[in-house]
Amino acid sequence: MELMRKKDVAEPGYREKVRRTKSWSAIDLKEAYFPGDADDDYKKNIGDPGQYPFTRGIYPNMYRGKLWTRRQPWGFGTPEDTNKQMKYLISHGNTGLMVFRDQPTMHGLDSDHPLARGEVGVSGVPLVSIDDMEDLFDDIPLDEISSTLLCASVVSPVILAQYIAVAKKRGISMSKLRGTISNDPIMSHVCYSDVANPPRLGVKIWGDLVEYCGDNMPLWHAAYVSSCYNMRDYGLDAPEEVAFGLKIAATFIDGCLKRGMDIDNVARRMSFYCAAGIDIFEEVAKYRAMRRMWAKMLKEKYGAKDKGSLQFKFAVQCAGHSLIPQQPLNNIARTSFETLAAVLGGAQSIFTTTFVEPVCLPTKDAQRTSLAIQGIVAHETGAAAVADPLGGSYYVEQLTNVMEEKATEIMEQIDKLGGFVDALESGWVQKVIDEGNQRYQKEIENGDRLIVGLNYMSIPPEEDTVLPGGVLEIPPGTEERQIERVKKLKATRNIDLVKDSLKELTQGVARGENENLLPYIIKAVESKSTVEEIMGTMRTTLGMSWDPWGCRNSPFL
Amino acid sequence: MSKRIKAVISKLGLDSHERGAKLVASALKDAGMEVVYLGSFQIPENVVKTAIQEDADIIGLSCHSGEHLTLVPILFEIMKEKGLRNIPVIIGGVIPKENVEELKRLGISGVFTYGTTMEQVVEFVENICSK
Repeated sequence: MELMRKKDVAEPGYREKVRRTKSWSAIDLKEAYFPGDADDDYKKNIGDPGQYPFTRGIYPNMYRGKLWTRRQPWGFGTPEDTNKQMKYLISHGNTGLMVFRDQPTMHGLDSDHPLARGEVGVSGVPLVSIDDMEDLFDDIPLDEISSTLLCASVVSPVILAQYIAVAKKRGISMSKLRGTISNDPIMSHVCYSDVANPPRLGVKIWGDLVEYCGDNMPLWHAAYVSSCYNMRDYGLDAPEEVAFGLKIAATFIDGCLKRGMDIDNVARRMSFYCAAGIDIFEEVAKYRAMRRMWAKMLKEKYGAKDKGSLQFKFAVQCAGHSLIPQQPLNNIARTSFETLAAVLGGAQSIFTTTFVEPVCLPTKDAQRTSLAIQGIVAHETGAAAVADPLGGSYYVEQLTNVMEEKATEIMEQIDKLGGFVDALESGWVQKVIDEGNQRYQKEIENGDRLIVGLNYMSIPPEEDTVLPGGVLEIPPGTEERQIERVKKLKATRNIDLVKDSLKELTQGVARGENENLLPYIIKAVESKSTVEEIMGTMRTTLGMSWDPWGCRNSPFL
Repeated sequence: MSKRIKAVISKLGLDSHERGAKLVASALKDAGMEVVYLGSFQIPENVVKTAIQEDADIIGLSCHSGEHLTLVPILFEIMKEKGLRNIPVIIGGVIPKENVEELKRLGISGVFTYGTTMEQVVEFVENICSK
C-alpha cells in the first residue's frame, strides 16, 4: 500500500529549518525567552522543591531520596502465564508490579460470556475469581512487593477484593499491602464503555474504595485518576489533559465530601496517571503547572491541611499515540525523550511504553528495552541528579504559566456546563476529544506536524525494519483453558455460599449510596463468586441489566 | 456513480480504541458516502446482521488488540453462513505486517495501518465499491 511517502515534505538539507513554531499542543512560541517573560513571584508561585505550591517538585531532594518506580505492566495469557512473566520483569529491573486485566474482566464479564470470545487473556489477564488472583500472585510475597492493579472501571473493587482475599488466605494483614488500585470509572465511561460505567455509580464506587482503603489499608493508594493519560491518548492536548484530570479529581472529591469524608483523608494519598508526549518542554511545563494548580486547588478551594494532600503525585506513561509502526525502532528514541521529560518533570513512577506498541502486544525484548531506557535516564544521562533542572528557565517558567492559564480557562468552561458529569452527559467531553483527534490527523496530513517515518524521512514499506524479537503471538488454547477453568469453578464450588454472599451484597446495595460495598464484595469473592456475578448482582439491584449489553441474564433466577 | 456508497464501520469485541474508526467514518461521510457507525462492543453476528439489513456495500473494521486474529475469522464464518459473500471487508488499526497475508487469505480486501491518509481510504473504498 502506498502510504504517506508520496507526500514526504522534506526540504533540501542545506536550507532546512524548524517548521513548527508552536508547541505540540499549538501554544505559540517566541524565538527566544528573556528575563521578565515569566515575571513570577518566586515564593508565591514557584517555591523551592518540596515547598508549596510544589511547582518544582514534591520533595526537596527528589531522586536523591528515591528514584521513580520502574513499573512495566504485564497481563497476557492465563494467570499462570502472567505470573511467569511478572517474575521475569522483576528479575530484569522492574521495581513494582503492574497488572493489566483482560477486556472481559475490565467490563465485568466472565471468560465464558459470549462477548468475551476472542479476548480472554489477549490484552490482559483474566481475573474471574479468587482462584485466578491466587495463581497470578503465586510465589510472589504480597507483603514485600508493591502492586498496581489496573482496572479503572466500576469493576475495580472486585479486583482489589480478590487481592485482599488472597492475602488474607495467606495470613497477611491487609494493612501490610502496598500498591495502587487504578480507580477511575469516569475515564472508563469516556474511553472504554459508557454503558458499563454509569458516571454516578462510578463516583460512588470511587468513594467506596477510597474510604475502605483509608480505614484499612494505610499503604494502599485507591484515590487515583487515570483520565489524564487515557483521554490525552484519545485526542486531548496537554492543557486539556491538565484541566480534565483536575476536574475529574474534583468530581470524585466532591462525591466523598458529600458522604461526610474528611478532605485530607481523601486527598493525602491521591495520585494521577499522566501522559508524556514527545514535546519535552511542553510536557515538563505541564507537570509543573499541574503540581501548582493541584496545591492551590486543595488549599484554597478545599481547605486541605495535610502537606501530603497538597503534593501532586503522578505516574507517567509515554504517550501511545506518539508512536508509529513505520520504522518501529525509532520509537525507542521517542519513548526515551518522553521518559526524559517525565524525569525532568519529577514523576513518581514511569511506564516506558514499548517500541512495539503500534505493531503488536509487548514482547519480552521490547519490555526489556523499556526498562533499559529508564536505567539509562536514571544512571547515565545525569537527568535525575538535581531537582527540577529546568526550573528558572525563562522559557519553561513562561510555558508553565501559559499551561496554567489555558487549563484554568477550560476548567471554568466545565464549571459553566455544570461540572464534569454534566459536561459528560451533554456530549461536550466527547466532542472536545473527537475534535482534537481530527485536528491531530489533519495536521499530519497537511504537513503542519512532521513525524519521522510518516511524512518525513519515510521509506518504502518493503524496506522497513523487521521487528527484533518478533511479534507477540497469543498462545493457542489460552481461551479454551480459561473457559474450562471457569466452568469447573462454577460446577464445583459451594453454590449456597455464593448465593448467600450475593444476597448480602444485594442488601448492601439497597442500603443506599453511603453504604460501603467493599466488605460485601470481599465476602462474595471469598465465597468464590465471579466478577460477572458480583457486578451483575450490583447492576440488577440498581435496576440495570445483568451485563451492560443485555447479552445474558442472571444464572440464579 | 449513481447510488451512494453505504459503509458499515465497526469494531469487534471489547477493545475500545475508537480513534481510528471514528476518523475513517467521518472521512467517508465527508466524501459523500453513507456511514452506519456501530462503534465498539459489537459481536460479529451483529455486524453481519447490520450489513444485511442496511444493504451495505462494504464493511470496515478497526482492530487494535489482537482481535483481528480471533474475531475476524468468526465474522467471515458468519458472513458465509448468512450468505453475505459479495461485499468487501476492509480492516484498519494496529496490525503487524506479519499478519497481513493471513488476513488476505481469510478474505479481507484491504489492510490499512497507521500512516494511511483518509484520502487513501476514501479512494480505495470508492474503487472497490464501483467494481
